[in-house]
Amino acid sequence: MAVNTPARAGGARAAFHDGLADMLPLSAAVAAWAVVTGVAMAQSGLALSESVGLSLLAYAGSAQLATLPLLAAGAPLAVTVLTALMVNLRFVIYSAAVAPGFRSLPLRQRLGIGYLIGDISFVVYMRHEARWHDASTRAWYFVGVGLAMFAVWHVGSLVGLFAAAAIPREWGLDFAGLLALLALWVPSLASRPTLAGSVVAAALSVALDPLPFRSGLVVAILAGIVVAVASDRRREAPR
Amino acid sequence: MTPTLQLWLAFVGIGLTAVVTRCSFMVLGERLRLPLAAEHALKHAPAAALAAILAPALLLHDGRLALAPGNFRLLAAVVAAIVMWKSRSMLWTMAAGLAAFTLLRLYA
Repeated sequence: MAVNTPARAGGARAAFHDGLADMLPLSAAVAAWAVVTGVAMAQSGLALSESVGLSLLAYAGSAQLATLPLLAAGAPLAVTVLTALMVNLRFVIYSAAVAPGFRSLPLRQRLGIGYLIGDISFVVYMRHEARWHDASTRAWYFVGVGLAMFAVWHVGSLVGLFAAAAIPREWGLDFAGLLALLALWVPSLASRPTLAGSVVAAALSVALDPLPFRSGLVVAILAGIVVAVASDRRREAPR
Repeated sequence: MTPTLQLWLAFVGIGLTAVVTRCSFMVLGERLRLPLAAEHALKHAPAAALAAILAPALLLHDGRLALAPGNFRLLAAVVAAIVMWKSRSMLWTMAAGLAAFTLLRLYA
């Protein structure tokens, strides 16, 4: 990861273009992830208009994939929204990490930047943050990165939605959605506390599955977090 | 409440969670800083949520634990997880998982 990227001269336009350029190599991954989400939405039984609505309102692939089974099953509103909240909680941390660079900007601009926060835009921005010396230019860079991701995401989502309609159901492409979640989850297993939390969350979720509308899900997630924190503490405690 | 209305309310709710979480610290600025302990706890939330969502989908079939080799999804998921662990590539992981699932479905 480049730490000492040289400071750049040039104004808003140069920063914006740099943002687009830095996003380009990652477009394929974002597009693939978006197509998968589009396919998963189409396969979930939602109508096309509903899928487009969900996609535009949420703009959060993981939360969309996580809530699709709940939406399809007609789970209680609170469970669906809380699940989305749990999956989106990482955005709070991203937001905390990004906010200091934009503190001097007006609220409306800060909110616009906040809306474009996602896993990939966050990583790209943090990597190049030091390149920009004032909040306004930095903001244009972030908007370049964020808008590129936004555009690729929504086009990919639509492609997935329409392509899925041409794909026979018995291919079980809904499985693609699960695989995407799995791919997001696997790297976190390198950390022992996270692994412990995951095992507990998984076990509880399976055990509590008979509860109506997967209402045990929230309990499983909370228990997983608690166990992960406890495992963290145990590791950090002096022996 | 009709199912359609509930669905759209859920979409709005999901959208709100995305906006509120993304903008949280952008709104608060200097006014609130999370204690380190809380930040550490939150770090574990996505993995716990993903595990809790994935486990029943992969391990249960019609509400019963399905660990036998007959669970093609589970087998394919194991293949995909190994590919992800080695390659860290979303694309290869999807390809491997879908290929494994399709091969199992057609030939096993």
